[in-house]
Amino acid sequence: MTIATAGTTTRSTATSDARRRARAALAGVGRAAVPVLIAFLVGGVVLAVTGHDPVEIYRLLAAEAFGGGSRIDATLAAATPLLFTSVAAAFAYRAGVFTIGAEGSFTLGGLAAAVVGAHVGSWPAVAAVSVSLAAACVAGVVAAVVPAVLRARWQVDEVVTTLMVNFIVAGVAAWAVQAFFQERGQANSATAYVSEAATLQPFVPPNLTNAGLVIALLLVAGYTFWFRRTTLGFEFRAVGAAPRFAVAQGLRTRTVVVVALLGAGLVAGLGGGSHALGVVHRYTSGFSASFGFTGIAIALLARFNPVGIVVGSVLFGALNAAGSTIQLFVDLPIQLVDILQGTVMVFAVVQIGLPRLLRRTARTAEVVA
Amino acid sequence: MIDQVIASALTLSVPLVLAALGGALHRQAGVVNIGLEGQMVIGALVAALVSGAAHSWVLGVLAGAWAGALVGWLMSLTITRLHANEIIVGLGFNTVVVGVIGYWLRASRGVSGTLQVDGLVRLPTIRVPLVEDVPVLGAVLSGRSPLFWLAVVLVAATTWLLDSTRWGLRVRAVGASPAAGASLGLRTGALQDSAGAAAGLLAGLGGAALSLGAIGLFNENMVAGRGFVAMAAFYFGRARPLPTALACLLFGTFDAVQARLQISGGYSASLIQTLPYVAVVVVLALTGIRSGRRSARAVA
Repeated sequence: MTIATAGTTTRSTATSDARRRARAALAGVGRAAVPVLIAFLVGGVVLAVTGHDPVEIYRLLAAEAFGGGSRIDATLAAATPLLFTSVAAAFAYRAGVFTIGAEGSFTLGGLAAAVVGAHVGSWPAVAAVSVSLAAACVAGVVAAVVPAVLRARWQVDEVVTTLMVNFIVAGVAAWAVQAFFQERGQANSATAYVSEAATLQPFVPPNLTNAGLVIALLLVAGYTFWFRRTTLGFEFRAVGAAPRFAVAQGLRTRTVVVVALLGAGLVAGLGGGSHALGVVHRYTSGFSASFGFTGIAIALLARFNPVGIVVGSVLFGALNAAGSTIQLFVDLPIQLVDILQGTVMVFAVVQIGLPRLLRRTARTAEVVA
Repeated sequence: MIDQVIASALTLSVPLVLAALGGALHRQAGVVNIGLEGQMVIGALVAALVSGAAHSWVLGVLAGAWAGALVGWLMSLTITRLHANEIIVGLGFNTVVVGVIGYWLRASRGVSGTLQVDGLVRLPTIRVPLVEDVPVLGAVLSGRSPLFWLAVVLVAATTWLLDSTRWGLRVRAVGASPAAGASLGLRTGALQDSAGAAAGLLAGLGGAALSLGAIGLFNENMVAGRGFVAMAAFYFGRARPLPTALACLLFGTFDAVQARLQISGGYSASLIQTLPYVAVVVVLALTGIRSGRRSARAVA
């Protein structure tokens, strides 16, 4: 009798648990959909004003992004760098560490992988790729060291320091290329092409997707595992949710902050490395097309949820891929993609406030009544 | 040659000083303004368009300032009323503003990036007789644009505004502690929004100084990170107008020297460009270390 009761109780908690989780997931999807819808609305207005039919353009964009194998391939290839940078951002944000440094780590990682990758031509492919990617990871971490030390040791706000490091890295990378790694006969400041051995070959040439996508998806899986199953992952969430409580509980806040910043740098650096070895095959000025910043937008939009990160990266990847090819058919400036991305970014952080504003208005109305 | 470097350093500092003063005001109100870059771009564009349409640099400058103020105010509303993170909103606004302008240039004007405005009237240069022949002093005081003198006046004006007016005092109170400000019955949001609009206005002026300056055209990349250098400057100057302006002067000098090095073919130009950002990290580090020591002493 008692056993049966216990059994039903567990079963009913299990179902209500599942129901609660489903409802939370649905709410998350709704919250993420609002900024995207607003962005497409804003983009639609811009399109309509300039004499385009928004519905037709969006239909074309969707067809360009997902219509057929080679188009899906292009979308996934464009989503790959974003997967790295959004995981990097989400990893740190969950610990309450607000880094904007993914752009810098991505850039420096790309430069490191390109330089190393050009010098390992005689090695077996596995070794050449691993060493190049390892160099990218180290470079990504290096770009994050100063903000990490300053934040952990002296509580210096990481937001501004990481933003500044992005600019510093861009300048230093440009200087390093010109001074040391410039390939002869290249007008633009670009390094030599990486050797055949260090290249991440496409799975199905002439398609674009390569092992970089697999590494990125493994990272997403690792990210999920980190927060679900590891102790430090738990401490990350605790510190992120309530820093003072975490200190009072004796959690390792300083370790968390350092690991969050350096880990984000490592992931973004690896992303830069994979982009250099798999897509650009060298480092040139303008290597990162704001991937670091788009990654922040995706992480916020997904509320750090791994599935959301994948969906968001594919969405933004689709915009980038389709936006650049749609110009071939329609006279449509690619800046439309910037408008959509920026709007998503703004409204991804805004919409926490929207219901609160409505609630407050309602409360004031009540008080007045 | 010294005269040339001084003249170009001062010219390059003007847009920085204007935008950074705006950023300092907003910082005093408790908001870190990342959107200065976009507000400078829109200011530069609108100033060029209106100057060309109205054949008047005065109207161009006013319109550019107004456009910057509008964007700055909208951005501030998003931060104060919709409780959005100021950094992300700033980055997002920059992306949207630059995106809309780039889209519009291509879709409606059929140009890619650079817009030559017919009939654009550039900023005049004010020559000071007698002084202009004195070696260094002449380069400093003569041949400057009206916006240079406006920037000089604004350094004093914003100092006075922050230190000696009711608005300035209230803005600083809200910036220091929004909750305390609110408890005194201050309209914190409105005060921050007014500071945000003022920041946009000044950034718009800075943009106008760029597009109506020496060349007299608009290019979508002409601001080239100056909004972020301005941000570096108000951090460097701890949001005080005079130190902020002096930081801009320093960064403007870097820029002038860097431009010279680039002509002579040095690689270090891109390194010199990073100096403002290095300066910010150093300042933040020193501030952090000093306050860390102070609190350690207080505990002991």
